[in-house]
Amino acid sequence: MSEETHSVVIIGAGFAGLGTAIRLVQSGNEDFVILERGDRVGGTWRDNTYPGAACDIPSLLYSYSFALNPRWSRGYSGSAEILGYIDEMVERFGLARFIRFNTNVTSAQFREDDGVWAVTSDDGQTYLGRAAVMAAGPLANASLPKIRGIDTFTGAKIHSARWDHDYDFAGKRVAVIGTGASAVQIIPELAKQAAQLTVYQRTPGRVIPRTDYRTPGWTKQLFAAAPITQRAAREGLFWVHESMALGMVWSTPLTRIIERAAGAHLRRQVRDPWLRRQLTPDFRAGCKRMLVSNDYYPALQRANTKLITWPIATISADGIRTSDGIERQFDVIVFATGFDITKTGTPFPITGLGGRILAEEWTRGAEAYKSINVSGYPNLFFTFGPNSGPGHNSALVYMESQIDYIVRATKLITDRDLLSMDVRPDVQRAYNVQIQKRLKNTTWNSGCRSWYLTDDGYNGAMYPGFATQYARQLGDLRLTDYVLTAHARSNTGNTGANDRVSRPRHRNVRTLERTRHAAPVRR
Amino acid sequence: MALDLDAMLVKIGERQWALADIDWDAPGADKITAEQWPGLKAFMADLVWIENVGARGFAAMAKLAPTETLADIYRYFHAEEQRHANAELALMRRWGMLDGDDLPEPNVNIRMAIEWLDRFADDMPLSVLGTVIPMLEVALDGALLKFLMDEVKDPVCHQVFEKINADESRHLAVDFQVLEILGNARLRKLLIESVGKTLTPGLLIGVLMYIPLLNRMRNKIVDMGLSEERLYVAMNRFKNVGERSPGTRRVPTYQVLKWHADMVVNRKHPYHLLANSMVWMSDRVPAKVFGPVPTWFKELTYEPVARETLEQAS
Repeated sequence: MSEETHSVVIIGAGFAGLGTAIRLVQSGNEDFVILERGDRVGGTWRDNTYPGAACDIPSLLYSYSFALNPRWSRGYSGSAEILGYIDEMVERFGLARFIRFNTNVTSAQFREDDGVWAVTSDDGQTYLGRAAVMAAGPLANASLPKIRGIDTFTGAKIHSARWDHDYDFAGKRVAVIGTGASAVQIIPELAKQAAQLTVYQRTPGRVIPRTDYRTPGWTKQLFAAAPITQRAAREGLFWVHESMALGMVWSTPLTRIIERAAGAHLRRQVRDPWLRRQLTPDFRAGCKRMLVSNDYYPALQRANTKLITWPIATISADGIRTSDGIERQFDVIVFATGFDITKTGTPFPITGLGGRILAEEWTRGAEAYKSINVSGYPNLFFTFGPNSGPGHNSALVYMESQIDYIVRATKLITDRDLLSMDVRPDVQRAYNVQIQKRLKNTTWNSGCRSWYLTDDGYNGAMYPGFATQYARQLGDLRLTDYVLTAHARSNTGNTGANDRVSRPRHRNVRTLERTRHAAPVRR
Repeated sequence: MALDLDAMLVKIGERQWALADIDWDAPGADKITAEQWPGLKAFMADLVWIENVGARGFAAMAKLAPTETLADIYRYFHAEEQRHANAELALMRRWGMLDGDDLPEPNVNIRMAIEWLDRFADDMPLSVLGTVIPMLEVALDGALLKFLMDEVKDPVCHQVFEKINADESRHLAVDFQVLEILGNARLRKLLIESVGKTLTPGLLIGVLMYIPLLNRMRNKIVDMGLSEERLYVAMNRFKNVGERSPGTRRVPTYQVLKWHADMVVNRKHPYHLLANSMVWMSDRVPAKVFGPVPTWFKELTYEPVARETLEQAS
């Protein structure tokens, strides 16, 4: 067992981890390591390679503003192109040297004496960091759902996030379980290949049309020659999506307009009244993730496709039995049933001050301060943390704000030689009281069941506001919200003019508490 | 004691069965007597469609349910009624009552019920379907199915109806719990809902559809030899269970249905002059007034394994 010491340990080499790495390099910090359990970068986009996989946010917006790509081939790119963009970022910013592939993190523990995170992997290696960044991603883990009899099925079982590219669907009897964001992309592709495709739906989603287009050559040339034009186009798309919050985050007359647009899309594409009824959601637009597709409804109406809305009673050796008493037999079952989203725990044990375990504190739902920090776990930063999910805009816009916040905070830790930077529990509590109060008025908390909510209906996933609001709060690194503790070896003056030295808590540390008047550090 | 609907949902999930669980070729099909056969055929054909119509009723209730748990339960019940219809169809096939692959023709009152359900059911208050459905289920469970068990000696028939009865008893437990919940609403709300939402053209048309449908079924089974006493017993059960709960008694639609059920089971009641003339009139409704049969109506099957997914299809 060996140890490696860095200023920052990043866990995960997906969009968030690599974005953090780029910004660290740009800030002058090259003393970090990225731990990646897979053998290549890309995270969610490396894992989700099912046929039809694509982003449902325009590529111009679903990319980093600090790593623009002028060559997107379509309005909404497929997974292969997005993965290509991620690979290109690694090359362009020289990130490969920071990545440790096949490094599966099994635990992270804060060492209070020397203020470092000890991150251990399953090969026994320990990585020490003055700060740690959890960039493991909310959509990183996928497993087959717990459906009665699933183990008895003798045919092939494929999860959408673990696609088997060697399986030939041509002429096969195929079942797809699930009708969420992945399913509406998979189904049109499989319908073209399968002899018989049966789609099992629990509750229908709301589908809006996709305004996809092939990017003209002149646009690519223009974007490459004058990046300012691409930034302007990106800005325009940002504000279009931002305005959608008015209908998708809160129930307003615009919500009704979105529902009508989705309803018109359904009526235009589906003629049969009963099928239309089966595909009509009972919840407000935005309550569950909106689905974007032009070819999902037509695929369901192909002669070789059938939609089943009966509850699944059991999976049998040969197929699926539903509660109408009928069995349908299949060669393969595709599970488009989503991800094991960490709403109430952590992907591996995270131990903070005094041996506290984060998963135990999050048993009823995750909470953090500004989605980034959790009190009692100093120097630990989350990307896509609790209450950071967007319902209407690009996740990468949110991620950029998180990354910049993290880069500033980690710089503060090294520049001021801090032993720990821990968010105050009262500040975190007050922040979450406010967040939960605001969430009450959102579409996500309007009564439907979704992956945003825990079984108890707690929403620890979504941010109740505009992307602009979210970015603004992260633009402000307010030191008064933290307890900053300096290393015993450091000069107290490093922590700021208004710091007050109090009695040491640990053998070799002194605690520096900020007064309420301390000037916030800004960008 | 109040029923725990969450626990009931789990229980329902655990008690699912499939047509494939039954050996449809097991001996005993010949126990249907030649005398029984024509009456039984006509009765089973109606029963299949009544179950199917009941299924559609639960589909509407799933949309009207005030909680996700209840919506999930109604989604199961929707499917279970369909399963009952499928199983009864499979029995008809076993007894040689199907003409090739063709499903039996629904009678004119069933067609009316289909039209009504498709047009109005999703917009009815929960209390209307929430009262009508338990009433029909009590009649089905308490009178008709017991009658079948007594009259038909085929062991497969018994096996099927034991399963159906077990499902129906769970349906009734939930139905009466929901009536209780509905009845516990404030009286003012109950009255507003009864008068404002219930007395709609949709409901009035529903009444005109419901009266002859029920009487046609009633007459048919009495003609088959079912004693009226059994119907009394079944209806009394509806009343006894309902009267036990103060909440249920406060539901106006329950009171109306109870009063109506009393008239239906009493052959001598003048109500039958009206109801039977409505049956007579409905027989004279030309088929072309009905729109195309909705696609949900064509989902019935007697095949335990859906034909399009059988191995040879690939």
